[in-house]
Amino acid sequence: MTKINSPAELEEYRKNLRSKIDPNKRLISLCSGSACNASSSAEVATAIESELEKQGLAGSVEFKRTGCHGFCEKGPIIDIHPEKICYFNVAAADVAEIISETIKENRLVERLLYTDPSTGEKIAHEADIPFYKNQGRIVFSSNSKVDPKHMDDYLAVGGYAALAKALCEMKPEQVIDMVKEAGLRGRGGAGFPTGKKWEFARNNPGDTKYVVVNADEGDPGAYMDRSLLEGNPHAVLEGLVIGAYAIGANQGYIYVRQEYPLAVENVNIAIKQAEEAGFLGKNILGSGFDFSVEVAQGAGAFVCGEETALLRSLEGKPGEPKARPPFPAQSGLWGMPTNINNVETWVNVPVIINNGANFFAAVGTPGSKGTKIFSLVGKVNNTGLVEVPMGATLKDIIYKVGGGVPRKKKFKAVQTGGPSGGCIPTEHLDRGVDFDELAKVGAIMGSGGMIVMDEDTCMVDMARYFMAFLTEESCGKCVPCREGIRQMLKILTNITQGKAQMSDLDRLERLAKTTASASLCALGKTAPSPVLSTLRYFRNEYEEHIKKHHCRAGVCKKLVKSPCQNACPAGVDVPRYVRAIGAGKYGDAVAIIREKIPFPAVCGYVCVHYCEGKCRRGELEEAIAIRELKRFAVDHDDGSWKKNFKAAPATGKKVAIVGSGPAGLTAAYYMAKLGHSVTVFEALPKTGGMMRVGIPSYRLPEAVLDKEIKEIEDIGVTIKTNSLVESLDELFAQGFNTVFVGVGAHRGTSMGMDGETTPGIVDGIDILREVNLGQEVKVGDRVLVVGGGNVAIDAARTARRLGASEVSIVYRRTRDEMPASIEEIEEALEEGVEIVYLATPIKAKKEDGKVKVKLIRMELGDVDASGRRTPVAIEDSAFVKQYDVLVKAIGQESIVPEKFGLALGRGGRIKVDADTLATPREGVFAGGDVTIGPASVIEAIALGREAAMAMDKYLGGEGVIDEVLAPPEGEPAAFNAEEAEGEKYRPPVDMLPVEERCKSYAQVVLGWDAERAKMETARCLRCDLEAR
Amino acid sequence: MDDMEKVDQIIDKYAAKGSGSVIQALLEIQREHRWLPREVLQKVSEKLDVPMSRIQHIVTFYKAFSLAPKGRHEVHVCMGTACHVRGGARVLDAVENLTGIKPGQTDAELKFSLKTVNCLGCCALGPVMEVDGKTHGKMAPARAEEVLKNYE
Repeated sequence: MTKINSPAELEEYRKNLRSKIDPNKRLISLCSGSACNASSSAEVATAIESELEKQGLAGSVEFKRTGCHGFCEKGPIIDIHPEKICYFNVAAADVAEIISETIKENRLVERLLYTDPSTGEKIAHEADIPFYKNQGRIVFSSNSKVDPKHMDDYLAVGGYAALAKALCEMKPEQVIDMVKEAGLRGRGGAGFPTGKKWEFARNNPGDTKYVVVNADEGDPGAYMDRSLLEGNPHAVLEGLVIGAYAIGANQGYIYVRQEYPLAVENVNIAIKQAEEAGFLGKNILGSGFDFSVEVAQGAGAFVCGEETALLRSLEGKPGEPKARPPFPAQSGLWGMPTNINNVETWVNVPVIINNGANFFAAVGTPGSKGTKIFSLVGKVNNTGLVEVPMGATLKDIIYKVGGGVPRKKKFKAVQTGGPSGGCIPTEHLDRGVDFDELAKVGAIMGSGGMIVMDEDTCMVDMARYFMAFLTEESCGKCVPCREGIRQMLKILTNITQGKAQMSDLDRLERLAKTTASASLCALGKTAPSPVLSTLRYFRNEYEEHIKKHHCRAGVCKKLVKSPCQNACPAGVDVPRYVRAIGAGKYGDAVAIIREKIPFPAVCGYVCVHYCEGKCRRGELEEAIAIRELKRFAVDHDDGSWKKNFKAAPATGKKVAIVGSGPAGLTAAYYMAKLGHSVTVFEALPKTGGMMRVGIPSYRLPEAVLDKEIKEIEDIGVTIKTNSLVESLDELFAQGFNTVFVGVGAHRGTSMGMDGETTPGIVDGIDILREVNLGQEVKVGDRVLVVGGGNVAIDAARTARRLGASEVSIVYRRTRDEMPASIEEIEEALEEGVEIVYLATPIKAKKEDGKVKVKLIRMELGDVDASGRRTPVAIEDSAFVKQYDVLVKAIGQESIVPEKFGLALGRGGRIKVDADTLATPREGVFAGGDVTIGPASVIEAIALGREAAMAMDKYLGGEGVIDEVLAPPEGEPAAFNAEEAEGEKYRPPVDMLPVEERCKSYAQVVLGWDAERAKMETARCLRCDLEAR
Repeated sequence: MDDMEKVDQIIDKYAAKGSGSVIQALLEIQREHRWLPREVLQKVSEKLDVPMSRIQHIVTFYKAFSLAPKGRHEVHVCMGTACHVRGGARVLDAVENLTGIKPGQTDAELKFSLKTVNCLGCCALGPVMEVDGKTHGKMAPARAEEVLKNYE
């Protein structure tokens, strides 16, 4: 290209360029950034070129390989202009169809369009896709229009106009003033005002000055600088030359990580082009200003992102930071005044010069102007690069742009600012993101890394991860950083391995504070942030690791044998019993289960199976049907576990258990086994608590429950039914040494609805109890159930069995948020229950013997503190319906007599010490629904176990309840794909025919035969063997 | 010794630029020769007029340099935060099992060299693994085998 000597020549050239562009000409733009290249973008490019040729379109359709479009997860991405149709995850094999269909025939290729995960709707145009729609792209806006290897593309979108304006129309001071007025702050993380920094460098005396682009983007999880440098290198150069002119520097450097080869390649090409065109070199655009630039590569040292370290590295030395002052603006590269800015900062400069300070300052918050690019990654649906105005809330970024957390997992935290930043929990998602706001909650915006974490991320492991990273990256020059980080890592590693004490947490905090205050450079000063922020918000996880040797996320290898066992509140050794079933040793399987719980059959029938939610097979195809396997084993149990059962000799101590639910009976079982004399007091005429009166017998047959309770009685537990305990004093007076309160949560929660006491409005939990106790219950013909949990579903299915012909469930959120288990929902639908989502009753009254209910439609609004979207009523959407009975099933509370003398919290729950389940009252322990609110059988069992351990210790015992009931396993075989015969999914389960179900309370799920059970065991990946 | 001739050319090129370019010279040699033998370092020291002690400091300070021969294929498993939260450590475990080596090691047949890297900037595709510069995204432990078996 010939040299351009003046702004006029530049505009002439641009005019000429633009005149050759036909805006209606079809253009295929293919993202060719690093992420798309990793997804075979190059093959797609080749296919497009050859296919255009083949279909005779080579001349009439333009094709561009552009920079990063940002939606990296869905790459390779194709945009078709002028319509702006977006195709995602394009493979070379799709290209022929795209060209013959879309280019030639104007028809969409449906399967390549974006699918909205919440609605399943296909979206064709970029402007309608939530990921793009909710952004505000300024800096990034030309990335998808420009081929980074063709400078003409950049010129066509207005490139180098700012350079011409700054160099030929403005004085250097005016440029600085404009940048100051715009309020631009450094995008590398520290947020120092850019204009001020330039001014320092300009005002410091010296004939030779330097400007540097810091593209040593080292924060793991951040890659916006890479994308800019790869995708729009001329914009970086343009900003740099303008800055150099303002400061009075004639030489610049671009310091790029060597891990970014495409960025190095593209920026080198751009420099060459800019030199030829006269945007670099002598007398740029006739302004008399000379400037040249060189690329230097980093050699893999995180600390070189720190400016003094970067400068030493540029000088060819090890990148060890220096104390400041003197600042680089005073004495930088080779002792000369030097100005360093981050890539994104430089790219913002032409935006300001072209559009003016006011344009820039109009976007953002009072203290932070303009936009910021974030790399939104980790456990979020739409991962990629996101540009939003400063001040956008975390919630909007994660949920509106990012589409929330995948696979219905629970959001836990978002990590911002890389190793210098912190983890922000749900309660702060409303914070706007800018330089100042996140600092208030213990994190920083940093360079823009935003890593979303869900329930499967361990926060202790995250802290350990960052300390491990920084131990490697600390340059070692100053002791507080070098040793402080190393010692923090040591403590954190001990915690993740279950080898730490509670006192270690204090030591950790002290070390963190010392490291922060005494380190030489920002690396050390900010290094403790990941530790401090996780300690601040997730101390409970630290304590769980230390006290219970439990990693709730299932990440810390030394504490986790297998994800399924780790997810089980009672810690049942799932892989081992699955193998026993596979080997046909059903009795052994039950013995293995019984090593942790006294209710294997109940759990086999009704467990909520947290284990299946964490099954690794589920990440591939479908989780192992663990509960169904357990059910199969208990249905074929030979009772051989009793051979190894051993009870301790009598201790002479007396234990009273109030309530015969799963928590109480579990505590009773273990206390009896430990040699104590145990009496259980049950207020109702039947034993079992919620297992009996909360779960219908079509799910849990009475005989199954009776058999397991009898085993408990057989080891010496006395159960007294119809025995309401009114005061604990009475029990102590009768000589009981300790008391466990497990009275459950049997009273339905009030909805606070107008007319809630209208006759015909009943509690779901009452209906279930009455039916299970054999009392007569009438619900009429039309029934509305309000709620979304298992009680709501059970009440609805029971209403069908009581003869109601029309049963509807109304739930205020959508099916995705519904807490009831999927199987229950499906079975209810099969039985003719209708589920109405996004509606709620607001008023009821009795009219003509019917319950007249006014309902209102809801929509999902903003995300609340639990990470779920809050339902909001839609105005003027009320409608009225009539029912015979309205059943409330929105939750339950506990009824604890005042005379128990216990402190109660929300929902009438008893307050206990989280570790020992001890109440403040001497000798009294409590657990189950009465302490944690309505939960599940397995959680109650787990609490019964914990209570037994604590009560035994209270009585002077060791508190050891684990037992060996199954014979040793021998050498287990690893997973063998052949054995599984390629089966990917669960074998079908036999069910009672739908037409039979509503006629009685007969069991609905009939289970498997031995062949299918064995097949299913073969699918287990045996994760526990990996850990051995 | 084609390779060494190229190395000499690189050294000569940077000798003209002076001692400040020593890191860039070493990086280019590393890319060409894939590791830095002692005699090469000595040559760099002489030609660029940088003391051997500083060269030793540089090549041990920066992670890009290798002072031992590398295998035919360089496997880099990303340990960046985004990859970490998506199970990068399990991918690394699988690669260790498959290759029989730990990060920083090269196997006896000089087939694979394994290294962990901090962030490859392909965070949206995490977990990520790079073999001989080719990025493999959305890795799972089971997929590591599929990828590695293509290398001889």
